[in-house]
Amino acid sequence: MTEAEPNRRAFLTRMGLFGVLAGAAVAVPVAAHAGSSGGTVPSLVLDLVRPALNTVSRQTYNALTVFAVPGQDEYSTRQGTPRSEPGAIEARATDFMLHALDNFVPFPDELARPIAGTLAAGLGGVPITLSGGLLGLDLSAVDSLGGAVDALLANDEVLPLSMVVALLLNSLALRVNPLSATGVLQSPFARLTYAEKAKAFSLLEGGDSTLVGAADSDVPEPLRETVSGLSGYVGGSLLTFSAFSTYSEWAVFSTGTRSVTGVPVGWRISDHDPGVLDGWDDLRGYYQNRKAVAA
Amino acid sequence: MRDVIVIGAGGCGPVVAKELAAHGLDVLLLEGGPRHANPRQEWSLLENDASHLLNGYLRAGPQDRSKPAWYRELPQNSFLWQVAGVGGTTQHYFGNCPRAYPGVFSGYAGADRGNYDVGHLFPFGYSDLVPYYEWVEATLPVSTAPMGTKETVYFRGCETLGIPVQTTKTTKGPSYRPQENAILPPGGHAGLTTDRSKLVFPLSTGCTFCGHCIQGCMQPISVPRNLTARRSTDNSYVPMGLTANAWSPQGKAVTLVTDSMVTKIHTGLVDGRLSATGVTWRDNGTGEQHREDARVVVLAGGAVESPRLWLNSGLPNPNDWVGRGFTDHYLDLVCGVFDDEVGNSKGPHSSARCDFPGYGALQNVGIGPAIQALAMTSSDSGIRGQYTNGRGLTGNWDGATGRLAATELKDVLLHGVDRILNVVTLTDDDVRPDNRITLSAMPADENGPVPKVRMDQRGRSTRSVRNREFLARKAVDLLRGAGAKKVYRMDLAPLMMHVHSTMRMGVSETNSVLDANAESRAVKRLFVADNSALPNSIGGPNPTLTSQALATRTAEKIFRNYFGGDPWVTTGAPVVSTDQRITRRMAELGL
Repeated sequence: MTEAEPNRRAFLTRMGLFGVLAGAAVAVPVAAHAGSSGGTVPSLVLDLVRPALNTVSRQTYNALTVFAVPGQDEYSTRQGTPRSEPGAIEARATDFMLHALDNFVPFPDELARPIAGTLAAGLGGVPITLSGGLLGLDLSAVDSLGGAVDALLANDEVLPLSMVVALLLNSLALRVNPLSATGVLQSPFARLTYAEKAKAFSLLEGGDSTLVGAADSDVPEPLRETVSGLSGYVGGSLLTFSAFSTYSEWAVFSTGTRSVTGVPVGWRISDHDPGVLDGWDDLRGYYQNRKAVAA
Repeated sequence: MRDVIVIGAGGCGPVVAKELAAHGLDVLLLEGGPRHANPRQEWSLLENDASHLLNGYLRAGPQDRSKPAWYRELPQNSFLWQVAGVGGTTQHYFGNCPRAYPGVFSGYAGADRGNYDVGHLFPFGYSDLVPYYEWVEATLPVSTAPMGTKETVYFRGCETLGIPVQTTKTTKGPSYRPQENAILPPGGHAGLTTDRSKLVFPLSTGCTFCGHCIQGCMQPISVPRNLTARRSTDNSYVPMGLTANAWSPQGKAVTLVTDSMVTKIHTGLVDGRLSATGVTWRDNGTGEQHREDARVVVLAGGAVESPRLWLNSGLPNPNDWVGRGFTDHYLDLVCGVFDDEVGNSKGPHSSARCDFPGYGALQNVGIGPAIQALAMTSSDSGIRGQYTNGRGLTGNWDGATGRLAATELKDVLLHGVDRILNVVTLTDDDVRPDNRITLSAMPADENGPVPKVRMDQRGRSTRSVRNREFLARKAVDLLRGAGAKKVYRMDLAPLMMHVHSTMRMGVSETNSVLDANAESRAVKRLFVADNSALPNSIGGPNPTLTSQALATRTAEKIFRNYFGGDPWVTTGAPVVSTDQRITRRMAELGL
């Protein structure tokens, strides 16, 4: 048995509770999260946990966006699809994704907390780097991805949707490849190959019953399918939003002038020329010279 | 008290408002989103700035772009493309104006009459609607589209399909043709130059082939609003309504209030019957609530917002069909990759089509790189070469259906976005009761519970699936005939742009909300005049013209039944929306 195996087995056991927890939380908004120690964590420790989790989140989205549009960066290399042209990283697609997820979909705490708590329970075996050891603090309870999330939840911190989605992608990464729990970078999802990321997406899109299917089982309309529906929507949107942002002008757009400050990465890739924006010399006449039709 | 309050200044509300204002009624037109009064100062014509769901200038949200967009729950992998503001989704539409197929109307006697959504026909005949089609076609106006490079390629493919060219407004059988569209034809230098000094009105008139229909039309440079090339209602019917007293002898100008979301329709007993009596709206900027009463209320918020407002208003829903029967043309996308440039990102987005009555339609779609990439990463078939999500359809296209991602997507785009020709299937999609709008359990917004849009992609009818498969194969044949070297079929997840029939009119009281006059069966003096009033997906053709024709008919019904007036469409002559009296009056008003 590998070192990761006990963690994986524990994780899968806990994941089975996901749907029940999520469903119950809607009916009982103050539902306790799973895996919490219940105690508060010193604010100094939280100050260490937050940036560490943000690092994991950013790395997860870096790994996600190059899954849609790989480039010259280390994330593309790690997934096995290095390219000689720029891609999502150069187009700052991660920033686009974080903003889009955290501002578009309202994500009530009643859903966020139990989902994050359940996901955290399976991420206890994923170490993260905290620098507080130098301060003499005992960080043993929070030096894993799961422990860090638990610490936030125990202190009533709001978890944005982007963080929960990052946890979900990392949870899926562990299911696809348990060995992704450790290694370079901070995010298990970022340690996957392209094919492994695709496998993670197949689980997400397939409405995998272990993960989300049970969430709908005991809730009436209009709540029915809210959790699994959100999962399906987000699962479908992750790739489309990543691709859209990379191939758009977003990263070099100036709101002041309503124009681009340079050539967008996506335009260079696709050889797109917007011309003068106000017109093209592309008129090719009328088909069969017909300019009007009968009733 | 107003004579009429119209809720929604999208594709159809302004039609009712203009027609009734022209006949002297006092009309209040309420719009939840902004009026883009100065597109040259507000728009960039760039893909993300225009279409970002969160803060694009053509989004579903209040006027202040720093405020959140309106969230709508989509409980499945899908994309709902709403646009708030004066003009609604016509602000980004392609202007295509085909008529519905005669087979979707009652009384159709063609040999293929069993080949349509026969359980959900229009409650009147095609010939009944023809005068209203003609009226709207003359008003917008509608004309035969010219070609750009991509249309020459598209027609090269059409010529290999063994079907004739359609040279009539009415579609009588399988055929191909240039679009009949609501885009003023290019004149002067338009379409012939990239010199901005010559792309100024009146050196250029009509369509300049800029390639940005979906980012909003403001061409040519310095054009008066009602002479703008693409005839979205903010350029056509709304200017007519605002100037009705200038071009109609008995006209009374419409009162337009924007950035104001209607949150409730009020009812009471009028002549002993439950009737609409007025509305309450909320000013998005100040949060203030306003109420006005009216003799007639017209609901025209669109196929998602109209049922939402109905449900939020607590109006009767005796047969439970409010919000049901949602159809969306079950879009699919087929992309051909060519060795040479085909002009994907230039010219009007779609100036050519094929029609296959009983199945649906095809049209070309030209787009820029971001929306191209978005479309090629949207699928219900997983990721090509990796997983199929239980589908991964095979046919006359290359490989299996599915998203392109990473290396494959990049290589296609590196070949050049202008070497891609897209063909979209507009499927004759059956009304299904379980595809529907309900109220979401997710957090309400400032206007009340938000809509939840359920579209069961895997639960489409056998006929809808048959139709889409037929059309996808025709699209591939077309692209190969045109010379495509590789053809991808996406098997799109629901891409809800043509949305209809959620407040459907119908023959039967058991499965419709509206009667044959588009008046609510349950609440008198309450009419619905948008795509939601359509009884079905009209066979596949683009819906706007048909909804505008129906809205014109509805305006006549309102005028006759509640204001004692005479109908005018069969006896009168329409004023074209480019009339110089409208231009002059808009200038006087500073609009």
